[in-house]
Amino acid sequence: MKHNEYKQLLQLSLFGELKSEEQLKLKKHLLTCEECRIELEDQKNLLELISGKQKTNVDEKVLIAARYQLRGALRSERSSNNILNSITENIFQYFTTPLKFAFAGAALLIVGFVIGGIFFSKSSQSEFTSQQAGENRFASLSEDISISNVRFIDSDASDGEVEFTFEASRPVRLKGNINDQQIQSVLTYAMLNEQNPGSRLNSINAMNSEKPVQYDNDVKNALITVVMTDENPGVRREALKLMSKLPYDESVKQTFLYVITNDTVSGLRIEALNALIVTASQGHKLNQEELNLFRNKLQDDENPYIKLRSKTILQEYN
Amino acid sequence: MQLSDTDLIIQAQKGDQNAFEELVYRYDRNVLSITIKYANNQDDAKDLYQEVFIRVYRGIKNFKFQSEFSTWLFRITTNVCLTYKSRSKEHLRVSIDKEFDDEENEFSTTKELVYDGSSPEEISSGSNLGEIVNAAVESLSPKQKMTFVLKHYEGYKIREIAEMMNCKEGTVKKYLFDATKNLRKKLSPVYA
Repeated sequence: MKHNEYKQLLQLSLFGELKSEEQLKLKKHLLTCEECRIELEDQKNLLELISGKQKTNVDEKVLIAARYQLRGALRSERSSNNILNSITENIFQYFTTPLKFAFAGAALLIVGFVIGGIFFSKSSQSEFTSQQAGENRFASLSEDISISNVRFIDSDASDGEVEFTFEASRPVRLKGNINDQQIQSVLTYAMLNEQNPGSRLNSINAMNSEKPVQYDNDVKNALITVVMTDENPGVRREALKLMSKLPYDESVKQTFLYVITNDTVSGLRIEALNALIVTASQGHKLNQEELNLFRNKLQDDENPYIKLRSKTILQEYN
Repeated sequence: MQLSDTDLIIQAQKGDQNAFEELVYRYDRNVLSITIKYANNQDDAKDLYQEVFIRVYRGIKNFKFQSEFSTWLFRITTNVCLTYKSRSKEHLRVSIDKEFDDEENEFSTTKELVYDGSSPEEISSGSNLGEIVNAAVESLSPKQKMTFVLKHYEGYKIREIAEMMNCKEGTVKKYLFDATKNLRKKLSPVYA
C-alpha cells in the first residue's frame, strides 16, 4: 500500500470507518512511519477543534416553531389545491351553458385567463378546423375578445394550410349578492391570485359586509392562505379581520397562532392576539403546547404590547 | 399499537393528514438537526426544514416503496440543502468580492473571517473561535460541507451518506478528504 493511501486510512480510522484488517494494517504502519503519526495527531487536533457542533439535541423551541411554520405551509398547500379545483369547477359550471366557454391549453391552472372567459371546449387543448370554427365554435367571437399566446404548430402555408394554438379571453361583468357562491368564487380567486395588492384588498373588503354573510369553506381556506402567505401586510391584515368574523374552529385558531408566531409585522401579531383573546372570553381553550408559545412571547417578543397581551392570553386561558 | 412507516405512508397517500403529520414527527428532529448544522442559521434551517417536508408532501403520492422512507426523506433533505441559497449568504456574496477557486471548487468569500492574524493563544482564549470554525466550514463547497456535516456532526456512516446523496461511497470519501484538507488549510494557524 502506498504512503498516501495510509493517509486516507488515517482519516477513515478517525471516522470509525475502517475494517478490522485495515485497522491492523494501519497500526503496523504507524509503528514505523513518523510522518503518519504526526499526520494522525494533526487530524485529531483538527477534529477536536471542530467537535463543538457535534450531535446535540435540537432545541425544542426551534422544533416547535418549525412545526408551526410547517403546519401553516401545509395548510396553505392543501387549501391552494382545494380552492383551485373548486374555483375551476365553479367557473366551468358558470360559463358552460350560455357562453360555451372553455379553457385552452395546459394553462388551465392559470384560472385568471378563464375569468375573462376562454371559449371553445372543456378539454385542455381543443383541436378545430377553421371550417368547424366557422360553423359553430367561433360564432361567439366578437370584438371584445382578446387573443394572446399564439403559437404555431405549422406556419408553413406552402400547402395552403397553417395550424396554431391561441388563448382567447373577454371581460365579464358580474353583479350579484355577496352570498352568491359564484360571486364568492370569483372574489376568492382574486384575493389569492390578483397581482395588484389593491385588487386583492378590494376583493377581501367586498366580502367583509356589514350584513350577515354565509362564507363557504373555500373562502375560509383562501383567507388562511392570504393571512399566511400574502406579501402585502395590508392585505394580510384585512384577511385577518375578515377571518375573525368566521366561525371559530381549529383551523382559524391555528392561523391566529401562526400569525402570532411568524408574522414580522407587530400590528398583525397584535390583531391575531386580540382575536384570540376574544375567543378565550367565549370559552375556547388552548393546549399546553400552544400556551407555551405565549410564555415564549412573554419572554422574547420585541414588542412590549405583545408581551402584555401574551400575559393577558395566559391569564384568560389558564 | 404504533403504526409502521408503511402503514402511515399508505394512509397519507390516501389523503390522511394525521398520518402524514405522524410520519413527519418521526423524522423531523433528524431533518432539522441536519438543516441547522448545514445552514448554520436557525431561520435558514427552518426554511430548509419546511421546504423538505413540502416536497415530501407533494411527492408522497408517488412514493413507490422502492427504498426506505427515511432514505427517500434524507435524500430530499440533502438535495434541498445543496440547492438552497441562504439569504444571509447572498448578502455576504454581494458585499464581499467573490473568488471562486476552480481547482478546489470552493467559495473563498469567508476566508478573511477564518484567520485574522491573531495568535493561537489569543484565538483559543477568545470567543471568536467558534466563529472561525464556522466560517471555515462555511467556506467548503456545498457537497463537501454536506458530507462533512453528515459524517462529523450527525455521525452517519459513509454508506448511509452515499445513499442520502445518491452517489458512490468513493465519492463521499473524496468529498470528506477534500473537506478535511480545506479545513486544515484554513484552521491550521488556530490549532497547529
